[in-house]
Amino acid sequence: MIKQTTINKCTACTSCVIDCPVTAATREFKGPKLLGPGLERFRLFEQDVEASIDYCTNCKNCDITCPSDVGVSTLNMLAKNEFYKRKGHRLRDWILSHGELFARLSSPVAAIANWGMAFPLTRMVLSALGIADRPLPAYHKTDFYQQFHALRQQPYEQKVVFYPGCYIGFNAPQVGMDLVHLLQANGYEVIVPDVVCCGTPVVSNGYMDEAREKAQHNIRALAVWAQKGYPILTCCTSCGLMLKQEYLELYDIEGSQQVAEQHYDAGEFLVELKDKGQLKTDFKAIEGSYLYHAPCHLRAQGIGLPGLELLQNIDGMKIAEIDAGCCGIAGSYGFKKEKYDISLAIGKNLFQAIKACPGATVVTECGTCQLQIGHVTKAATIHPISLLYAAWESNKQASSEAE
Amino acid sequence: MKKSDVIVIGAGLAGLTAAAAVSLQGHSVTLLAKGAGTLAFGGGTIDVLGCYDGRGLRSPKLGFEALPAHHPYTIAGKQGVIEAMFFFQKLCSEAGYPLEGSLESNVWVPTVAGTFKPSCLVPKTMSAADLAKADHIQLAAFAGLKDFYPSMIVKGFQRVALYAGKAYHTVPVETHLAPGRDITVLDIARWMNTMAGQNNFVSQVKEQIAPGSYLLVPPVLGTEPNYDIWQHLQERLNCRIIEMAAPPPGITGMRLRTLLLHLLKKQKIALIEQAHVSQAEIQSGCCKSVTTKHFGRERTYEGDAFILATGGFLGGGLVAEPLAVKEAIFGLPVASMLAAEQAAGDGLLNAGPVFQSGVNVDEKMRPLDLHGNLVLENVHLAGNILAGYDYCAEKSGNGVAVVTAYRAAMAAVGREQL
Repeated sequence: MIKQTTINKCTACTSCVIDCPVTAATREFKGPKLLGPGLERFRLFEQDVEASIDYCTNCKNCDITCPSDVGVSTLNMLAKNEFYKRKGHRLRDWILSHGELFARLSSPVAAIANWGMAFPLTRMVLSALGIADRPLPAYHKTDFYQQFHALRQQPYEQKVVFYPGCYIGFNAPQVGMDLVHLLQANGYEVIVPDVVCCGTPVVSNGYMDEAREKAQHNIRALAVWAQKGYPILTCCTSCGLMLKQEYLELYDIEGSQQVAEQHYDAGEFLVELKDKGQLKTDFKAIEGSYLYHAPCHLRAQGIGLPGLELLQNIDGMKIAEIDAGCCGIAGSYGFKKEKYDISLAIGKNLFQAIKACPGATVVTECGTCQLQIGHVTKAATIHPISLLYAAWESNKQASSEAE
Repeated sequence: MKKSDVIVIGAGLAGLTAAAAVSLQGHSVTLLAKGAGTLAFGGGTIDVLGCYDGRGLRSPKLGFEALPAHHPYTIAGKQGVIEAMFFFQKLCSEAGYPLEGSLESNVWVPTVAGTFKPSCLVPKTMSAADLAKADHIQLAAFAGLKDFYPSMIVKGFQRVALYAGKAYHTVPVETHLAPGRDITVLDIARWMNTMAGQNNFVSQVKEQIAPGSYLLVPPVLGTEPNYDIWQHLQERLNCRIIEMAAPPPGITGMRLRTLLLHLLKKQKIALIEQAHVSQAEIQSGCCKSVTTKHFGRERTYEGDAFILATGGFLGGGLVAEPLAVKEAIFGLPVASMLAAEQAAGDGLLNAGPVFQSGVNVDEKMRPLDLHGNLVLENVHLAGNILAGYDYCAEKSGNGVAVVTAYRAAMAAVGREQL
């Protein structure tokens, strides 16, 4: 659909080339304009596959900067899919884009799995497969689903649906639980339906058919709630973008429009409550200095930076936006051996800015941005929802001490 | 629903400038951006009025008197133009990237097409006022650079009286950039961002040029809005380096955009990217809110005043349909010159009348209908959406953007009488 609706809007103005972080970092990539709308015109007649498409990270900066509303990044993902159809996938790419499967297998034995991943022999095998020599995200010993189901929620009339996604589901469940607690405190009951990986990693690794299956599953699980008018929340900005935009760009699945319309980034939902005067704002600033990094997939959502807005509104909170661009990891991209250096080169400005503020904690929604920033700068990282919840708890503690 | 004092729609030069002006007056701003506008890839020189009636102007001021009543400069008034230019120059200076020039005289910027383009405020790196005095001009020829042909440039210069008798010399430069794709000025500017690139450039050029000479380069002196690289290279090479204007990506526009975006972030304005404004809520001649619709839900942004800086045909502010031109968001009456264009006949450069299509405004930059009646009380227009000027023929695009953005901003915050 996206091909017919957007390619002829491209005027070849070069705005996407200017703002493409990959083009800036490597000359191997021919650039979003040429590989997306440019070559797509030829692909309408026959498949014209260009190998450098493999360098595209699907970061969406081309979409954000395009003055003519061309769906550049998704055209590139479709081209990448065609490229892999011909070339065939590496085992490595399959492993990196199926983190959910490994997580579901490993979560029950998280400690062993985490130890195993760091084991020298495992690292050797991973390296031989083409995985970069960097720590893989550790699985949490109690995944989000276990923690959530163990929680006795206060039932409320008002309900929201939470889509955790893989990273919060298995690696950073605390972010999801912090959101659940905040929502409970504000009179919302949380529903977590039976969902699977949103498909971001399979889309950016050229497994479009598999992504369709995931989309179908998730839309089926979410549309029932969307039809009831329940808000659908995500804390992961890539999952959010998938539910709200990419399913619509890529597939024609019944119910996806309704899901997209009910989707909220968790921060966006809380800001909306605040704007309506319905958010309990008894937050107490948390000590320390904080730097906010805007994930590209949040910027692409057309909702501004709600996490930053919430935190900036807490009296005494020392938080500033970094304003230094993409971190470069792009999910699985930065874990690939031959892409690792490019991924670091993309994030160079960001890392420099963070290193210039030693001791500051970096606040950002995206789990893999957090991994990249922590890996390179050694700075502590936190999701804005977790920091907000900490500010809520800190106030509760302060007021109970006062009594 | 989000509320701010002023909502700016559009993030090209007009929108960014208006947002900066409103914010520096202490009012809250939400900037709704759909794409980066044309500033990102353009030349970024502030051309105020370069030509009139097909001839180059020595000074923008000389042309003002002759402009028609509905021209944006006539509406802003001479004082309005002066104030806006003062504001913009101050803003750039304070950000560490002062622009050179004044309304008193145009500067002639050499271009990679071998021509000279009249402009008013330009980066110091492009200021070529003293170039005419040189009897020997050198051109840096980067190997493999796209859209850069030294022999064509020299041929072009020799057609200009002041430059006809000079000696020209090409200085080949090899960047040794990795293969993979075409080499653009953007690639070389990024190479120049690195110390290694600068050192490499100096070592190659040093032996080939005489101290005190003039070296013309494409716009490659880094991507950031400062003069560090330029000064550093000039010192090390002991020569004058002048950047030429180039087709997209023009680099110099990119620098200006970076400067303005950093300023807006510093001012903590709310920048909403991918905000596709689809409609507005109007109550008795006043705009209450605008609504964005792209993927997902509609979102509404409320404001006391609105600045519409959505651009012309390229930016998407104006939409051409068969036999009609429409304004995309408010459905404002467009003074369309389609009939005139048809009369003018074919040919890209004859398309002048169509560039003059746009919305007529009052002195507060508010939209007027075709009979001159005010349409909306609190909506102010800036930039290429305006009727009555032809940026292409006049060389006035960025100048009109800055002047009308400043006027719109001052009117939006109730300070139009300074």
